[in-house]
Amino acid sequence: MTTQDLITKIGLKPLSKFEHRDVEGVFVSDMLSDVMAGAKSGNLWLTIQTHKSIVPAANLVDVSAVIITSGKEVPQDTVDLASKYNIAILSSDLATFELVGKLYGLGLGAK
Amino acid sequence: MIKGALEASVIEGVDRLDTEVEHIYASDLMSDVLAFGRPNSILLTGLATQQAVISAHMAEFVGVVFIRGKKPKDGSEKFAKDNQLILLSTKLDMYEACVRIDSTRRGRYSGAKGSWMRQGTEEMSLSREFFIQGSDFANAGMVSTKVKSILKKIGFDPKLVRRVAISTYEGEMNVVMHAKRAKVDLSVTPGLIQVVIEDEGKGIPDVELAMQEGFTTATEEMRAMGFGSGMGLPNIKKNSDELDIRSEVEKGTTLQMRFFI
Repeated sequence: MTTQDLITKIGLKPLSKFEHRDVEGVFVSDMLSDVMAGAKSGNLWLTIQTHKSIVPAANLVDVSAVIITSGKEVPQDTVDLASKYNIAILSSDLATFELVGKLYGLGLGAK
Repeated sequence: MIKGALEASVIEGVDRLDTEVEHIYASDLMSDVLAFGRPNSILLTGLATQQAVISAHMAEFVGVVFIRGKKPKDGSEKFAKDNQLILLSTKLDMYEACVRIDSTRRGRYSGAKGSWMRQGTEEMSLSREFFIQGSDFANAGMVSTKVKSILKKIGFDPKLVRRVAISTYEGEMNVVMHAKRAKVDLSVTPGLIQVVIEDEGKGIPDVELAMQEGFTTATEEMRAMGFGSGMGLPNIKKNSDELDIRSEVEKGTTLQMRFFI
């Protein structure tokens, strides 16, 4: 499954500029240090953190996309930085729990 | 770099091999060298005479490489020695020598995968210095992002790059959260990537305790931003091949992280 497939199937809103890529597994956390330690390359990262420090973290662990849940507004500097590093920031109006359910339904597991 | 790329032997100047070469000039016509050669170049030539060495000196070159295994038989060596020039000799012909230097240079700077490592010798290395400002949350993670870009460009295995990037990030976050400032040294040598983060700050009173998962001294504010769950140092240990921590209370902490290539 690619980021493009997800956007169409779940109705996510892309905020940054990025190239589509394969998605493998999902990681949910609002603690950056937890992401650094636990997320795997290619994971989707679901969070409500919107501070721009999520961008280096996403870049360094090499997640396939960051999904900001609960329709939380993302500051422009976060979006700009993400575009600069080709990091996908997607937005969903669903709460993390509901979104996880949908992703699970699509066959995405924890990797 | 050039000696390695050309598998050259050293005729003169073995103690000056670390001299920076800015340009390469390939020619057998010494009038061209004098007319077009730029300072700090190295001359590739088939003219194995003292004239070549003198011309190189006049054009302020750092040295001369003789191709096709040629070696000057006149007083070139002494002239080179007296004037601090490097003389090398390679068995390659002019075309092959130029190609090798170019591909080695490209491998090093734009990342033909690992080629600079394969062609390189012990002189091949890269070192970069960065600075981190304590409490600068706005730019937190930017140094490790740069380190990642550099290693990715060289063409290292993405898994290795990821390990270095994550370890550097954790170290960087520790500086942002707890120290005043730090200097970061990245060095790449054949077989080893090393990142040293040397901070000025309050130091770690009990390193063993800090190494335990979940131990944290982060404030509520830091935790609200998603930092400080006590995974930093343990995560560095997990991702690096060797980790040394030296810390002095009220002075600072130095992390030395090594990754085998």
